[in-house]
Amino acid sequence: MLGPLGRVIGWVSAKVHALADLLLVSRGPYARAFDNLILGLIIFSVASIGVESIPDLPQWTMQLLRVAEIIVVAVFSFEYVLRIIAAPSKLGFIFSYQGIIDLLAIAPFYLTGFDARWLRALRLLRLLRVLKLQTHILETVVEERTRELREKNEALEKAQAQLKAELEVARSLQLAILPSAFPARPGCEAAARMIPATTMGGDFYDYIELPDGQIGLVIADVSGHGVPAAFFMAVARTNLRELAVHHLDPGECLAYTNDALCAQNPLDLFVTVFYCVLDPTTGVLRYANGGHNPPYVRRAAGPVETLSGAGGLVLGAMPGARYPGHTVQLLRGDRLVLFTDGVTEAFNPTEELYGAQRLVDEVHVHGSGTPAALVERICQSVTNFAGREPQSDDITLSVLTWGAP
Amino acid sequence: MKLRIEALAEATYVIPEGRLDFDAAPGFQESVERIFSAAGKAPAVVIIDGTGLEYVSSAGLRAVLLAARAAQRAGSAFALCALQPAVREVFDLSGFSRIIAVHADRAAALAQAQQGRP
Repeated sequence: MLGPLGRVIGWVSAKVHALADLLLVSRGPYARAFDNLILGLIIFSVASIGVESIPDLPQWTMQLLRVAEIIVVAVFSFEYVLRIIAAPSKLGFIFSYQGIIDLLAIAPFYLTGFDARWLRALRLLRLLRVLKLQTHILETVVEERTRELREKNEALEKAQAQLKAELEVARSLQLAILPSAFPARPGCEAAARMIPATTMGGDFYDYIELPDGQIGLVIADVSGHGVPAAFFMAVARTNLRELAVHHLDPGECLAYTNDALCAQNPLDLFVTVFYCVLDPTTGVLRYANGGHNPPYVRRAAGPVETLSGAGGLVLGAMPGARYPGHTVQLLRGDRLVLFTDGVTEAFNPTEELYGAQRLVDEVHVHGSGTPAALVERICQSVTNFAGREPQSDDITLSVLTWGAP
Repeated sequence: MKLRIEALAEATYVIPEGRLDFDAAPGFQESVERIFSAAGKAPAVVIIDGTGLEYVSSAGLRAVLLAARAAQRAGSAFALCALQPAVREVFDLSGFSRIIAVHADRAAALAQAQQGRP
């Protein structure tokens, strides 16, 4: 049972502990102010020892110094007691280096009053504490900043991981809209592959089934990479697919697609497009080229021809552009090879370009197999050539063989 | 890519050296936009001198297209000159040389640009 005295003691004890916590343990503004106060008093009291040693000081100065001494000792004593209260181990603090110095700084006053001036020189030791205190303050600040930094880093990493996860989803969506199979037509076989440079590519290929049984083939490359390029790719692909069904002439289809893209192009991106329409029954290939690398036709006997008619304007750059149509007759066993500049402009570690000649050689030598085998062969050749050099552009290939039904 | 800008009396020359690719394009774009947005009158003629330009990617083409548009808005004549064959081919294949004037050298570019003005 606690008497009224016990309650008062309990209350006082709680208050004193709270004060010790506020001034010594916490890292708040009060603790910092208290640290600075002690620091100032230590410097002041050491300086006052120097002043007192000057002979024949006027009486009022001596009086002032004595009053100051009483205040200094009072504050130091208060601090000493508070530190004992705050210390987890009381005896540990009392006999610690810091505890002994703190005691030596006030003990002479209590033992001998104002007379033991020379003993007060012990207070110089407290200067060491100033240094220690400053280190302590510095460490506290560093610790706090480190913690803040760590927290910010963690938040950043979390945001980045989330962004990466979303990009991964977007990428799989993007790869998913690429057609997985060529429309079945007797005698025709096709294969294609896109290897994106960054998580989001700007290249695409497409097969479009047209109303009259013909098949549209697209290969395209959007300027730049990343999310903007991927969005523009999706817009370009959708427009082209829709317009292709209504405009069976390839040049006309590209002209309409270009106008549509120019009207919805806030980022001033553009896309190079090679678009051709194959009549699977006759092997007639009609095409138009909007700024894309001219594709190759590998004849059954081996020679590789470049499709003429390149140099049309890329799509999305200027409304009203026109795309002249061209025609080539495919013969049994001929292969059509569509590609993007990620193939020919792959660099190796010595800054050399893969170049068109290497591609033509591969097509010439290995073109007689299946389209899938040729696509695989060329991808392998480019990858081997690039070696450790990072892939800076999307690599896309689309190969078609035609044989009369 | 390094970029130098020579502001002469008759024209402002933009001289890119190295590869104008995805990484270099934003810097190129910014420098060119500064030519047109600088205090005072935009230069009457802006010519990109491609002597030291080794490679242009599609992102680089876009930067050149934006430069041409900025010139058009500012009322400046705009042309390319002295392109290396590989770079010239990129401009030809993409159809850009149909909408942006490409000349053999500075003199030809300047003559054409000045002829086009009253």
